[in-house]
This record gives sequence, C-alpha cells and structure tokens, in this order.
Amino acid sequence: MIVAVHLPRFSLLVALLAARQPLDAPTALGPPPGEPQVIGLCTAAAEAQGVKPGLRVGEALARCPRLELVTPDPDAVADAHERFLVRLEDLGAAVESVGPGSACFTADGLYRLHGGLDGVLRRVRTVLPVGADGRIGVAPTRFVALEAAFQAPPRRPLIVRAEDVIDFLATLPVARLPLPAKLVAALFDLGIRTIGAVAALPRAAALERLGFSGISAWKVARGEHDQPVRPRIPPEPLEVRMEFPEAVGALPALESAATLLVTQLADRARARGRALRSLVIRARLSGDGSFVREVVLRDATTDPDRIALAVLPHLVRISAPVEVLIVRADASGHEGGHQLTVLDIGRVERARRTGEAVLQTRAALGDQAVMRVIELDPLSRLPERRWALVPFDTSPEPGRSA
Amino acid sequence: MGTGPLRYVARARPIRVTCGHDGTPRVVVVAGRGRQVVSVRDEWLVQDRWWTDHPVDRHFFELVLEPGRVMVLYRDRAAEWFAYG
Repeated sequence: MIVAVHLPRFSLLVALLAARQPLDAPTALGPPPGEPQVIGLCTAAAEAQGVKPGLRVGEALARCPRLELVTPDPDAVADAHERFLVRLEDLGAAVESVGPGSACFTADGLYRLHGGLDGVLRRVRTVLPVGADGRIGVAPTRFVALEAAFQAPPRRPLIVRAEDVIDFLATLPVARLPLPAKLVAALFDLGIRTIGAVAALPRAAALERLGFSGISAWKVARGEHDQPVRPRIPPEPLEVRMEFPEAVGALPALESAATLLVTQLADRARARGRALRSLVIRARLSGDGSFVREVVLRDATTDPDRIALAVLPHLVRISAPVEVLIVRADASGHEGGHQLTVLDIGRVERARRTGEAVLQTRAALGDQAVMRVIELDPLSRLPERRWALVPFDTSPEPGRSA
Repeated sequence: MGTGPLRYVARARPIRVTCGHDGTPRVVVVAGRGRQVVSVRDEWLVQDRWWTDHPVDRHFFELVLEPGRVMVLYRDRAAEWFAYG
C-alpha cells in the first residue's frame, strides 16, 4: 500500500506562523514582490467571505474588507517542507516529495518495523505538525493515495482498498485527473464532469476523445495504471549565509557577496572530499518576503569560478533589498580531476566518469533520467518482451557501467 | 542499482487503422495524417500465453506506407490496432 500525507494550505500556514497571525482570521497570501497583483492561498474564514486564490487584490478586499494579506515566504516554506520530509524519512520510509506539504511513500517495507499498516499510520500521525490538520491517505496506487489524502478528515487516515478504488474515484471531479487543462475543459464541454464518467468511456471512445497522451489518465480513472512512487535521494546539504547590517539592493554588492559565499561553499565541499551538484540561492528580503532559486550545475564541481558563473545571473531576479543571503548546496558529488587524458584511461576510470555523469543528470532531471536497456527474452515472438529499461547502474564495479 | 520499476522498451501504442473487406489494413493514421498502405510485406499470427489470465492473440502485419515507411502493427483479439515504433 502507498501512504500519502498532505498538509493543506501549507504555504499559507508557514507564512501565518512566521507573521504570528491567527489561523482562523480572514487572511490570504499576498502577491510576491514583482509578481501580478493576485492573491494566493487563503484561510477558511476568508473563503467564507467569497475570497479565493487567483482573485485580484482589489476585488478580494472589496469582497472581504477585513482581509489581511501576509507576504509569501518561499524560503521558509522550502525549509519547513524539508523538515517534514526528513521526519517522514526518519520513520525508515523512502519518500517522494509531491509538492510543498505533500509527500508519499510505499509502506510495504515498513510493516515489520512498525507493526503492520496500523503501526505505520500511527507513526506517521506522530510526525504531522500540530495544528496543521495533516491528512493521510492510503491506497494501492500513488494517484489514489494522494486523492485519498486530499479527501481525508484531519489526522484520521482514509484507507481505500483495491476493491473500493473505482467507487472512490467515481465522484471526484475530472479536473483531478493528470490531464492538460485544455483537455479537461473539452471533457466539461462534453458533459463529462467526474472521473467515474471518464472511466465509463469505452476504450475506443477514450482514445478518440483523450488521445494517446490521455489513455494513461483513462487507465488511472479505472484504477488500472499509475506511475510508481519515485523516492528522492536525501541530499547532503552544505549551507553558508551572509547577514547584511543594512539591506542591500545594489546588484554589484549582491554579486560580491554571492561570489564570497560560493567560494566558502566550494572550500567546505573540498574539505569533505565532495563536489557540489546543485545549489539553492535564498534571500530574505527587506520588509518580509523571500527569494528562492535552484541552480543545477552542469557537472559536480568545486571550482568557485564555474559555480559563480551559474549562480550570479539569477541575482538579477531579486526584486527587493536583501537582509540575508543564503546559498545551500547538495554536496553529494565526487571531487576529483575532470580533465581528459591522451592515455587510455581504462574501463574502471571510464565507468567512474560515466557514473558521475549519470548522477549529475539525475540531479537535474530526476531518477528516471538515464536508463539501461537489458535483454529479457530476445527471441520472444512478442517484441515488447525482448528488451526492458532499468535504471542505469552507477556502482563502481568494473564492467557493470562501462 | 537506482530505484524504479522495470519498463518494456518496445511497447505498442494504439493506432487508428481503416481496413478493407478482407480485413487487411488500407489506411493507417500516423501523426494525425491518413497514410495509404502501399503493400503488405508480411503477415503472421502469434498466439501465446494462453495458459495465463492474459492470453495473447495477435495478427501482425508488416506494411509499407505511402511515403515508403515500413511499419509493424497488429490487431488484437478485441479487434483494436496497435503499432510499434
């Protein structure tokens, strides 16, 4: 079974806690600095007054004059989400991050550790932040588990057994399916409003209406097919920060500070014998708000000049004076010379370099980015049974990855 | 080894085909365009895995389509068409 955990209105909750605002007042996330003037997530009290995400600020204030706006803080949200994932991983789970405040994992391997599914769920409940109204969904597939988490009552797991999947999905709105918005609108025009109505389509009609890309969504609607949980590889973080006595808005000053920080990061990584794969630039802005950008390097390195080349162009996007500049890096790369040689480098060295390139590609594009073709039954009369794709093996054993 | 399931490489995808009276393909829709079948290079039957809950019963065709493209496709027991590549 797959367990999904969802913390509703997570970004708003983090901003409210940071701003020390009550959770039951009519409050909404304001527009981020430099972005269009529309509001983000809002509390239930604000929703009761007709406010909803995406409204223009003026219209929201007209509907609810007592509405308070809080500045979004993506930096604090990223921190809180990371803590949430680490607490789930501390249970022994291989966790996939689904978005801020949402995650899922396969529970089968944890039954013996925690005493069955009930034991796992009991432990999951203990890691949910108090007051966050955490929701837990359990189902045989990832999509259904996530939907169950969205539908579950606070802190009481909603368990959907295999035989109940179709009934559970039937009444959900069709917009919940993993389909492009244009296709969802087209289904609405045809009078198809629920996932159950999609599942009831004959395969040929589904193919005609949804196209090839929508067939997997049709299968999801029938509880037949879903993508597996793709757990993250926990990062090995390094962090450096610089607090300015007065907020700094001048780009050259920010660039100097960032250059100094990436040099410190590179030194620390080299001292650990590691190299940097990716970085997250965070800035706490003057007068609330924050800035976050993730930068994935082309290959793992400790060369400060190369890292600065990747980082500095992003500083232009900072829209307000900065009080604190933070650079956090994933230092899971291997340090070592990357220069090519005219001599035969041998299979082991070639395998090491290939493995390193694969890890870097996965850091940028995800675990399924690089695959290997293996022979299953090359003489099979069914072409799809002849070969298969498996994740590329990056282990250093000679002959495996060369 | 990294995480993730085993995935088949040559998975057939659904395709639209118009047949003649004798059941052989006449027009195949490729990338939204109907392509005339110039010739049928080969055809064969595969019946396999009949001892399982998912028996295979396919009528394969190797076709030459209008601009000269060779395509292998099959009709399954539910009379639906699938193509490789």
